[in-house]
Amino acid sequence: MSGGDASVPAHRARFLGAVLFAIYCIAYATFVLVAAFGTFKGGAAVGGLAAPAFGGLSIAVVAGFGLIIGAFLLAAIYAVFGAPPRESETEARK
Amino acid sequence: MIYHASTLAVVVFALFVASVLGLSLWLGSRTKSSGGYFAAHGQVGWFVNGIAFAGDYLSAASFLGICGMIAFFGYDGFLYSIGYLAGWIVALFVIAEPVKRLGKYTLADALDSKFNSRGLKLVAAISTLVISLFYLVPQMVGAGALVKPLLGLPHWAGVAMVGVAVTVIVSTAGMVSTTWVQFIKGTILVAVCTLVVAMILNRGFAVPSTPIAATEVQTLAKSADATTVNGAPLAPDNQLDSKLRAAHGTGFGSVAALPGGVERTGPLGPLGFFETFSQSTITTWKKGTDAAGATTFTPVERKGADLLLPGANPTFKGVRDDRVASKLDFISLMLALFLGTASLPHILIRYYTVKDAVSARKSTVVGIAAIGFFYVLTLYLGLGAMTSGALDPTDSNMSAPLLARTFGEGLFAVISAVAFTTVLGTVSGLVMAGAGAVAHDLMKDVLGMRMSDAQQVRSGKIAAAALGLGSIALGILFEKMNVTFLVGWAFNLAASANLPALVMLLFWKRTTKQGIIAAMATGLVASLAWILASADTMEKVYGYSAADAAAKTIVPFSQPAIVTVPLGFAVLAVVSLLTARSAKSNAAPA
Repeated sequence: MSGGDASVPAHRARFLGAVLFAIYCIAYATFVLVAAFGTFKGGAAVGGLAAPAFGGLSIAVVAGFGLIIGAFLLAAIYAVFGAPPRESETEARK
Repeated sequence: MIYHASTLAVVVFALFVASVLGLSLWLGSRTKSSGGYFAAHGQVGWFVNGIAFAGDYLSAASFLGICGMIAFFGYDGFLYSIGYLAGWIVALFVIAEPVKRLGKYTLADALDSKFNSRGLKLVAAISTLVISLFYLVPQMVGAGALVKPLLGLPHWAGVAMVGVAVTVIVSTAGMVSTTWVQFIKGTILVAVCTLVVAMILNRGFAVPSTPIAATEVQTLAKSADATTVNGAPLAPDNQLDSKLRAAHGTGFGSVAALPGGVERTGPLGPLGFFETFSQSTITTWKKGTDAAGATTFTPVERKGADLLLPGANPTFKGVRDDRVASKLDFISLMLALFLGTASLPHILIRYYTVKDAVSARKSTVVGIAAIGFFYVLTLYLGLGAMTSGALDPTDSNMSAPLLARTFGEGLFAVISAVAFTTVLGTVSGLVMAGAGAVAHDLMKDVLGMRMSDAQQVRSGKIAAAALGLGSIALGILFEKMNVTFLVGWAFNLAASANLPALVMLLFWKRTTKQGIIAAMATGLVASLAWILASADTMEKVYGYSAADAAAKTIVPFSQPAIVTVPLGFAVLAVVSLLTARSAKSNAAPA
């Protein structure tokens, strides 16, 4: 690290990025695993993604849109609250 | 199907393509240095770069392939939308900023930034070329699919047109023109698709004038002498959907019954669209073969709710199967989509066109917004096509343009031209990645050829032309494949070959050049071998029947990422530990 205050924002940004990344990984993995193991038995829908969510929509539709819109929301949070790394640090790493 | 060109479509198409080529030639006159040719001088604004990400990424697979797969099989196509977009999270949080700091023009630059190794550059360049070629094929197939209804030309003509146009774009101004072509295409694609979705919602759903019976099988027989439809020669007034249209006022893909027994819903809201669809019964068409060997299309009524679940498409059928191996195939594909995006060479090189790591992050966020919004639209477009009565059951890639045609020739012309520009934008990016790998990595760094700046640019242009010609040949060869299915292969290769190397280089200090070389070579060869030996490839490429393909394959499922990505990480870790130890002992004083 270049030392002093300059390393703090980059450290925070990396931590925030790691947390947001972990959140999305868990959400995506849950979606995939529920689709694979929790939705069908013997070829028939038994729950999981086939279960109703709200307004006549199934979990499949809500979760699918949720993963797409959620990705944007996490990216926006990262853009707004993740302090950008200093260019001085960028140069120091080269 | 026989398609006829419309004058309006030809005019709009010609205007789009002429504008794009004109822009390229103009920008080309201002781009002389290798920095400008390979990385647009590193001065593209983050917003333009973000939309260009969308233009680069929203390929024929996203537009034609996903819409086609949803139109034919429902939710399965949307799984690609989810996976493709999720991959950008890896790009944003793991790859974007470090890669921007490490590289200059190419993937090999980033991977080799610490080591200065010819072997590493060679493996990275080969990986870039192989992955780019696998990604190129579906784009070219998409181009061929588009010109059939648009210009009334055969598939090969569309492929050749894209090949020539891309060669002009990339050979003139390289990354500068590629960036602007992608920016324009990304903007127009999202805008036009939003318009089409608004029209789909405004139209709502309607049932045909009379119901289609399960016995109304449509037959297509092809022989060396002639093609017949339902026993009579294929002709403009005897097409595959002619009989259906005469009897029911609709072609392939329609609503059999709406909730409440109504004949027409009228305009629907964004959520009401799915609610109504899931409570409706849809007439889909099952492809088969009759005793005489002719292709048959049999109407099958399915519940809308069932079409909004995964597993209808052969690629995703594993989720409805109780065998673990079948489920692993699905999980493996979703893993490849998640990890592949951030490892695609043509995406990685776009990080070099912005000035710093902060701009790389900002442009990724803009890209995610534009791409995410488009992928939300794909489910509306696909289901709209599924119920449009305008599907071509022999070609899923045509679903989106044919849907547009139901709203009028003008929209059809615009959307087809946009789709063609879509192909141009993505293929330009891929050819740029390949040209950089050949001219910058292979010729200059691996072979040690001393080249002036101008000679590097010239080499890049020649490489681009050669790649353009190669992609034309492959696009003609793979005509019948669904473009999204083909892109799945590219994601598997990218995730297996590049991701372990990139992640470990960035986050594990003990990574050695031998570890990276071994991991990339293993990931690339293992995933390629797995794909070529898979049942999917045996059936769809080698032409075996499904039963023969299942019997002959030597791999338990078709998508390799779940095995080959961990394999890449393991090989990198083991080789790095071994070579770091031997390097240390060699360096120790005697």
